[in-house]
Amino acid sequence: MSKKTPLIELQTVSKSFGSNKVINHVDFELLPGEIHALVGENGAGKSTCLGMMYGLHQPDAGSISLSGKKTVIDNPAHAQNLGIGCVFQELSLAGGLSVAENIFAGHAPATFGIVDWKKLRRRAETLLGEFNLSIDVTAPVDKLPISTRQVVEIAKALSLNSRVILLDEPTSALTPDEVDALFTILRDLTRRGIGIIYVSHHMSEIFSIADRVTVLRDGRKISTHKTSETSENEVVTEMIGGHVPASVKHASDAIGDVFLEAEALSFPGVFEDISLTLRSGEIVGLAGLMGSRRSVIAKALAGLFTARDGVLKIKGAPVDLRSLSGAMKAGIGYVPEERKTDGLFLDHSVRDNLVAASLKKHTTHGIFSTASARQATQNAIERFSVKAASQDTNIRFLSGGNQQKIMLAKWLETEPDILIIDEPTKGVDVGAKFQIHDELRKKAADGMAVLVVSSDFPELATLTDRIIVVREGRLVGEIGAEMATDDSILNLAAGVEAAPQNTLHEVERSAIQ
Amino acid sequence: MSLQTLDKQDAPSLMSKVISACLHTREITLLLMILGIVVVMSFVTPYFLSASNFRAVAVGMTPTAIIVIGMAILLASGGFDLSVGSVMALSSTVVALLLLAGVPIPVAVVLGLVLGAVAGLANGILITVIGINPLVATLGTMSIARGIALVLTEGFSVSSLPPAFGYIGKASLFGIPLLVILTLSLIVLFDLAVRHTRFFRQIYFIGANEKAAMLSGIAVNRVRIIAYILTGTLAALAGVLLASRLMSGTPTAGNALELQVLAAAVIGGASLRGGEGTILGAFLGVVFVALINNAMTMLAVSIYWQMIVIGAVLVCAVALDMLVRRQSA
Repeated sequence: MSKKTPLIELQTVSKSFGSNKVINHVDFELLPGEIHALVGENGAGKSTCLGMMYGLHQPDAGSISLSGKKTVIDNPAHAQNLGIGCVFQELSLAGGLSVAENIFAGHAPATFGIVDWKKLRRRAETLLGEFNLSIDVTAPVDKLPISTRQVVEIAKALSLNSRVILLDEPTSALTPDEVDALFTILRDLTRRGIGIIYVSHHMSEIFSIADRVTVLRDGRKISTHKTSETSENEVVTEMIGGHVPASVKHASDAIGDVFLEAEALSFPGVFEDISLTLRSGEIVGLAGLMGSRRSVIAKALAGLFTARDGVLKIKGAPVDLRSLSGAMKAGIGYVPEERKTDGLFLDHSVRDNLVAASLKKHTTHGIFSTASARQATQNAIERFSVKAASQDTNIRFLSGGNQQKIMLAKWLETEPDILIIDEPTKGVDVGAKFQIHDELRKKAADGMAVLVVSSDFPELATLTDRIIVVREGRLVGEIGAEMATDDSILNLAAGVEAAPQNTLHEVERSAIQ
Repeated sequence: MSLQTLDKQDAPSLMSKVISACLHTREITLLLMILGIVVVMSFVTPYFLSASNFRAVAVGMTPTAIIVIGMAILLASGGFDLSVGSVMALSSTVVALLLLAGVPIPVAVVLGLVLGAVAGLANGILITVIGINPLVATLGTMSIARGIALVLTEGFSVSSLPPAFGYIGKASLFGIPLLVILTLSLIVLFDLAVRHTRFFRQIYFIGANEKAAMLSGIAVNRVRIIAYILTGTLAALAGVLLASRLMSGTPTAGNALELQVLAAAVIGGASLRGGEGTILGAFLGVVFVALINNAMTMLAVSIYWQMIVIGAVLVCAVALDMLVRRQSA
C-alpha cells in the first residue's frame, strides 16, 4: 500500500485537557480498504484520537487531513457529512424508539421532512440482514438483548455510507458468532475501499481482522506495524512499556477465614443462583462481558440491589443488606464503576471527596474536624502519590488516574473488611494502574477480602487469585490464578451461544437507585 | 433471532393484550377515564351533557391545550418552560396596547406572536448556549415577562378594543366555537408532525440521551432552541386568542398556568426524564383535568378541594406509571 492517499490522517496532533496532556505529537493514517487497529492501555489516548477524528475534540496542535486535504472537523454532524461514521463503546441508542428509527437516528429517509416509515423499515431490515439477524425492526430497542443492541449500533454507523468507520470496542457484547458476522461485513466493506479504524483490547481479534496496528502509550505513538510482521507479544509489550506484569502475580498464602458468603442469590430475570465465597487475604475476580450482570451481582453483595432469594452471610452470620450504609456497618466497602457519575463529587475538593464515606471518623461530639480530614487527605495523597495542586483543588481537575486513586482511598478510609471494587482501573494510565493493583495486593496481604469486578480480562488474570466468571446472570465457572489468561476467561465468559435477555438496561439502571 | 422466540413463548391472549395495551398506552387509559367521567356525570347531573356546558369547558381549556403542545415537545426533548403563563399574559396585553394605539389588527397579532417567539428564543439561548438549567432560566423569564406585562399596564386590564378583534374569540362554525376548531386543528397538526416528521423525531433522541443524540449527528442545540421558540409562540398565540375572547389584555392572566400545563402533560404520558410523550396524550391530559374540574364545580365542590384532587390525580398518574414500568421491567 505504497502510493495511496490516506482517507484520514492525523499529522503530529496534540491534545490536552486542562493540564493533562492526553495526546502528544501523534501521527496516524488510514488507507482506503484498510483495517487499522489502534491499541493501548486504558488512558493511552485511543478514545481521544477517535474523538478528534469524529469532531468531538479539536487538536491543540497539528492537523487532520481527509484524502490529502487539511480539514477542520467541527462536530459529529460535520464528521458524518464528511463520510466518517463512528460506533462508540457506550451504547448510544434511544431506548423507547424502534430499532429502525435508531439506526437512522436523525437521518431517516423522508420526503419534504416527513419520515417514510416503509422505506425506513426496509433499509433497516437490509442492513441488519447482513448480520443474518431477523430482528423485528419496529420493536423498541430497550426490549432487545445487549448484544443485539450493539449490532444495531454498528448498523447505525453503516447506515451513513461512510468512507471511514471508527469502531470503539465493537465486540464487547457480542457472541463469537456475531463477531464472525461482523468481521465478514468489515472485510466486505474494505473491498469497497472503505477504511476502518478498529479499537479493541482483544489481541486475537486484532490479529485476525486488522492489516496494521498502531500502539499508543501515555498519549504517544509507540509504533505502527503490519500485523503480518509483528506478534501479539511484541504489541502487548509495547502497550505496557516493557513491564511484564505476569511476574507480579498475587501470592495467595495469607488466605484466612471466609468473610463473605453468598448462597444462591437470585433475582428472577436478573441473576440466578449466585453462590460464592470471599476469604480474608484473597483477591477474587468477577468477570463477565457486557450484559453478564457482573455489576448488578456486585451491587447485590454491597446492599445496593436486593436479591429476592438466597442468603448472604458476613463472617458466618446471615445479613439482610438493604442499603449501602447497612453494608458499610457490616464491614463492606464498595467502589463504583462510574467514577464521574457515581463515585466522585466532581466540583468538590480532593479532601471532601476523600472523607465523604468516613465523616464519622473525623467527627467528635458532632463537630467535624477539618484538621483531622486534612491529615487523612495528606496521608492518602502521599501514599498514592496523587498529583494535585492542593487538597483544596476540585477533583474535576485531576487526571483520571489520580481521581481513581482518591476514589479507592476514600473507601480504604472506611477500613472495610471486604472491598468490592468495580472496574478498578477504568480509564487510568499505566502508572496509576500498577499503583492501584499494588495497593489492593497490600490490603489483601493485611487480611482484607477483595472482589474485583472487571471486563478487563488481562487485568483479572494478573491481579487475582481466582476468577469467577458470569454470563447472563449465572455463574459459568471459576478459573484459578495459574490457569487464568485473557483467552481462557473470554472463552468462558462468551460461551457458545447467548440466550435472549430481557430489558437488562432497566434493571441495571434501577439497581443504581 | 431472540425476539421471535420470545414472542412465541408468551403469546398473550387477546384479552390480556387489550388490558396490557390499556395500561401501557396512556392515550387509551385516559380516553377510557374521560369516558368514565362523562358517563358518571351524565347520570349525576343533566346539565353536564348540555351543549352549553361542553362549549364552556372546551373554550375554557383552549389556552392550556394550545400551550401544552409546546410543553409536550419540550418535555420529550428533556426540557420544559415555566414562562408560558407569563408570556401568554404579556402577549395579550401587548397586543391590546398596540390595538389601542391604532395599530391594524393583523400587524398587532403578528407582533404579539413575534414577542412570544423572542421570549422562546431567549429561553432557548439561555438554556443551550449559556447552559443555564431550564428551571432557573425559565423561572427568570417567567418573572420578567409577567413584570413587563404589569409595568406596561400598571396592573390594570386593557379594554375597549376594536370590536373586529373579538371576531375570532366569539365566532362559531356549525355551532362549534372557532377557538375550539383552531385548537383541535393545531393538536392534530402537531401530533402528526411529532409522529412523522424527521425534525420532530429528533427531540425523542435528544430527550432519551442528549450526548448520544449529539454523537448521532443531531444538531442538539438548534433543535432545542427551535422547540423553545415554538413554545413561546404558542403561548403568545394563546394570549392573543384569550384577548380576543375577553376583549381585553389581562396582565394577570395565566397565573400558575405553567404548572397546570406541566401537570396535564405529565398526566398525558410525558415525563420530566425526557424521551417520551405525545401531543395527543398531553391534550387528553388537558381534557381530563378540565373535565374533573368541571365535574367538581357541578357537584359544588369547593375550589380549594379541587386543587387537592388535581394534585392527587397528578401524583397517582405518575406513581401508577412507575409501578407499571417496574412490573414490566
